[in-house]
Amino acid sequence: MKASYVMGNKAIAAGALEAGVSFVTGYPGTPATEIVEECLHGEDVYVEWSVNEKVALEMATGASLCNLRSLAVMKHNGTNFAADFIMHLNFTGVCGGLVLVSADDPGGNSSQNEEDTRILLHTYGHLPVFDPATPAEAKEMIKEAFELSEEMGSCYILRPVMRICHSRSVIQLSAQKKLQRVPQFVDDRSRFVMSAVSEPRAGGKMRPLWRHALLNQKQADFSRYAEESVFNSIEDGVGPIGFVGCGIGYSYIKEAETVLRRKFPVLKLGTLPLPRQKVLTFLRGLEKVVVFEEIEPVVAGLLRGICSDEGLTVKILGRDQFLPGEGELTTEEVIAAAARLGLVERPAAVKPAAVEAPVRTRTQCIGCSHRGLLSALKQVSRKNKAIVTGDIGCYDAGSFPPIELQSTIFCMGSSIPVASGIAKTGIDRPVVAVIGDSTFFHNGLLGLVGAVSNQSRITVVLCDNRTTAMTGFQPHPGSGENIFQETVPALSPEKIGQALGVKTRIINPYLLEESKTILDQAIREEGVSLVISRAPCYLLSTRRGGQPYFARREVRMVPERCNGCKICINDLGCPALYYMEDENRVAVDLKSCVHCGLCADLCRRGAIITV
Amino acid sequence: MKMDLVICGVGGQGNLLASVAIANYAMRKGLNVIGTETIGAAQRGGSVVSHLRISEEKIYSPTVPAGAADVILGFELVEALRHIDRLNPGGCYIVNSETVPTVLGNMGLDRYPPEGEILRELRLRSAKGYLINASEKARELGGAIMTNIVLLGALSRVLPFFEQEDLAAVLAELLPAKVLAVNLQALKAGYDLVA
Repeated sequence: MKASYVMGNKAIAAGALEAGVSFVTGYPGTPATEIVEECLHGEDVYVEWSVNEKVALEMATGASLCNLRSLAVMKHNGTNFAADFIMHLNFTGVCGGLVLVSADDPGGNSSQNEEDTRILLHTYGHLPVFDPATPAEAKEMIKEAFELSEEMGSCYILRPVMRICHSRSVIQLSAQKKLQRVPQFVDDRSRFVMSAVSEPRAGGKMRPLWRHALLNQKQADFSRYAEESVFNSIEDGVGPIGFVGCGIGYSYIKEAETVLRRKFPVLKLGTLPLPRQKVLTFLRGLEKVVVFEEIEPVVAGLLRGICSDEGLTVKILGRDQFLPGEGELTTEEVIAAAARLGLVERPAAVKPAAVEAPVRTRTQCIGCSHRGLLSALKQVSRKNKAIVTGDIGCYDAGSFPPIELQSTIFCMGSSIPVASGIAKTGIDRPVVAVIGDSTFFHNGLLGLVGAVSNQSRITVVLCDNRTTAMTGFQPHPGSGENIFQETVPALSPEKIGQALGVKTRIINPYLLEESKTILDQAIREEGVSLVISRAPCYLLSTRRGGQPYFARREVRMVPERCNGCKICINDLGCPALYYMEDENRVAVDLKSCVHCGLCADLCRRGAIITV
Repeated sequence: MKMDLVICGVGGQGNLLASVAIANYAMRKGLNVIGTETIGAAQRGGSVVSHLRISEEKIYSPTVPAGAADVILGFELVEALRHIDRLNPGGCYIVNSETVPTVLGNMGLDRYPPEGEILRELRLRSAKGYLINASEKARELGGAIMTNIVLLGALSRVLPFFEQEDLAAVLAELLPAKVLAVNLQALKAGYDLVA
């Protein structure tokens, strides 16, 4: 055993390895990404970046069917995407232990939305969920989850929130467990063939109905475990008001107790389903309880149900009333709640600063290959009055000032079907979808197939930088390498375009004029057109000691020629360009400029030149 | 012994390494330590903040509550301003004077407050603070990448909690051997920057 100060995600991966996991899949997404990458430290463990989260869970299930312990890792958006499969996996159950890590991002610090996947996985999918209060507990929970998954024959869920994934603490790391299992596949069609057939083993009941009944029966086993679980416990305290801490909510309650030097009656909950008897023991004798959970009032609702069943009149306060309905919890929130209930004095409010800190809006990195594309496309789409839909990835910063190009961003892959839908209304404007390469392989391809077969009139612009840059350069099917950095065949988007019968063009986004001409041609075309904007990610290509994709050209300012029009700033949004109000001119910060030369190409007055 | 720190800057400035070094130092001293980072879109010039909590007692929450931080270690002026509500009135701030402008500020669409205004806000929160040009010092020694170590050196001068020998030993474990000597110079230089 070795104590190390590590990230929560490493603790989770270490737990999986100590539980004998030998098959790990996932799709990159903050805050979960590092869990998959940390599993690379395991010996004889198959690890892959799957093409998307649904595929990741399906792959992991395949391994489970062969009796291996397998792990699928995703962030909440990915869990949504995998939902269709989950709603069958819950009915079939598993063979080898299968754990799904579904990492939520309360506060949406690194996500398009915030949500609570306990609802999808437990309330809707009836799967058992572990909700950790600390990274150390997350590690113990995932080990337990593998054991229980095999014992109960069910997929188990670990639902860490961002503050678990991205916290650091001292964790005891032990050796990886090797189970030495030989993969074996045993046919069991009544379980694994999900179909609307009559089931002889269930007296001729329809199979979906029978499997549903079996899932319902399993709930009693899940509950029995919850009742005995060390992750649920009661702590005595003073007074008729109790605090319920679910997952990280418990940690904030304990912190508040430390700050206030008070001991409240506390129920710590780490599992779903709930330990019903433990809950009743806690609730009896209390007048009110406040439920601290992230993010939705899942447990609060369950507690109200238990009170109603048992005729208890305890008032349950939670995130649908009394507490904020959105975002992360904090220690301050617990203290404020205690004050509102008259338990402690209201703490003096900390005043915000009188001077506002300017926001750091997201933009492309200096040298980024998307910058030229976004600039060229902005000019061409303004000229043609095009509607531009967007997708998830670094290029999505083109929807913010100063570029303000994409008009929509929903979820992975939606740019193409949304564009297609807009175009199919017959609207009298060209429609363009902007999507990255990893996102295209994730769930963009099918949208393109649909647009072709239903004969939409759209232009798809594929930002092909050969990596999943946003989450830290994970390879995807177009990268030509896998997670082990082994060379594998790179799928070619242009061949896909050609196979679909789509007019396909390739541009170098560092060449502005040429890119504009080609984009203009594509946008005016009938039917579906594809423009592949190809240049490897600047950070990735230079980080490995390589050369950037552009020819480096020394950028210089000729200050007297600048009239302060700011076209360079507004069309490029480059952090190395800045406007000097006193002199009404733009300057280049040569400390950060990497000399891609785009600003010099854009400036028609010759105020920025290359030498 | 209980100490809450907020270490704030912009993606790429190396504030994570600084927080890991402090955490490892605390472990070396037999103390409990918990931290967390809020990174957002760090690679693209976003704000990055690490909370770090050190105590003899058990620590539960990874986040530092408002008004509780004993130290704000600011890698950048506006980022120090952004998190100044964390500072407790008896605490201190150590802030790098070199600024990283914002894109909207560059465009003239937003205002990057002048140094004087930010300093006034910082001084309103705490009487004890230091503004040092850590980036310049790091560049003098060989690269802006060592700004974090210069700031760590300054921190170690301000807080008697840090013993130079042990801090150097922690860095020796974290950094590649070939850059250790120059980083120890940076640590010393940061120590000397705080008068």
